[in-house]
Amino acid sequence: MNELSRAHIRDLMSQVLANQGRTLPDDDAADLREIGFRSLDFSELALRVEDATGEELNFDAPGLRRIATVGDVLDFLETLQRQ
Amino acid sequence: MSDTPLVPPSSVVLVSGGSRGLGLAIVTDLLDAGVKVAAFARTVTPELAKLAEAYPDRVHVGAVDVTDLPAAQAFLRAAEERLGPVDGLVNNAAVGQDSMHTHTSTADIARIVETNLTAPLHLTRLVVRRMLGGGRRGRIVNVTSICAQRGFPGLVAYSATKGGMDAATRSLARELGGRMLVNAVAPGFFASEMSAVLGSTQLDQIVRRTPTGHLTEPDEVVPVVRMLLREHTNINGQVIVVDGAASV
Ligand SMILES: NC(=O)c1ccc[n+]([C@@H]2O[C@H](COP(=O)([O-])OP(=O)(O)OC[C@H]3O[C@@H](n4cnc5c(N)ncnc54)[C@H](OP(=O)(O)O)[C@@H]3O)[C@@H](O)[C@H]2O)c1
Repeated sequence: MNELSRAHIRDLMSQVLANQGRTLPDDDAADLREIGFRSLDFSELALRVEDATGEELNFDAPGLRRIATVGDVLDFLETLQRQ
Repeated sequence: MSDTPLVPPSSVVLVSGGSRGLGLAIVTDLLDAGVKVAAFARTVTPELAKLAEAYPDRVHVGAVDVTDLPAAQAFLRAAEERLGPVDGLVNNAAVGQDSMHTHTSTADIARIVETNLTAPLHLTRLVVRRMLGGGRRGRIVNVTSICAQRGFPGLVAYSATKGGMDAATRSLARELGGRMLVNAVAPGFFASEMSAVLGSTQLDQIVRRTPTGHLTEPDEVVPVVRMLLREHTNINGQVIVVDGAASV
């Protein structure tokens, strides 16, 4: 399967934020609420990852609710790609 | 006065999804009221088995998947042989959802629609055919949800099925011309295996928005279901919301 690297996902994440005139901090510990990355932004990012890999990424909301930092987003999508 | 005879209280009631949560509470309450009950779910829980043991003459239970129509049909026949003709149906079995529509697999959407909409329509058809064919009058209660009337993220397919059942309730009440009373009960969120997926912040938020200050309890829904099955009222084709005015 065509799996995206963490760096590649990070790049897509920064594109999602750049579209809204915001920048993605370098620090993985950055708080999503502070940078204004909301659940629909996460959804957009997941769809961009899907586009790049050609694989659908489906997931439940409870897992999503535990995501609080940039690192959590990258971890979640890395793990999801492997499922 | 019209010559349409009144629909008598249901005395033998089929409850889908009677193994736990609201369904189990409905089964227990109907038994307390002296009604005979046939209840099924995919798994018969120890709680439901215990009720069957306690009331051997008044309860028929079985492991049936509501989406398996021949199995539901066989269960209904066996229940009628044991308890007598069914004259009440509670469509309670359903599966929940907690995922954004865009990230819910098409297979999951199909499963939710099949379990929550197609299967209860089939079960209703089956029971109505038996009641009409046997010249009986009866009552139907569909357990729907506040999600049919108000928007909730993460519940798109689920809401569609509940809205579908609310709509079917009205049309069926008309179609059955007063020979059967068909109503729906739409609870607000209550604690159960189905709602366990909701985060505590979401549940807190619902409580804050509820004038009565608490989540709906199954025990607060059960008397409404019993009333629709047992009391003499002219309520027909209605959806009764039980949510402490959270949605008002
Ligand atoms: N919980 C809430 O907040 C809430 C709010 C509004 C409305 N409701 C509605 O209230 C009703 C009861 O919900 P609940 O919260 O009590 O849910 P629950 O605790 O999850 O119980 C659902 C019941 O349905 C059965 N069931 C599920 N899929 C089935 C299938 N394919 N075939 C046969 N039985 C099946 C389950 O048993 P098995 O899994 O063993 O089959 C169980 O007995 C549902 O219609 C639900 O939509 C719930």
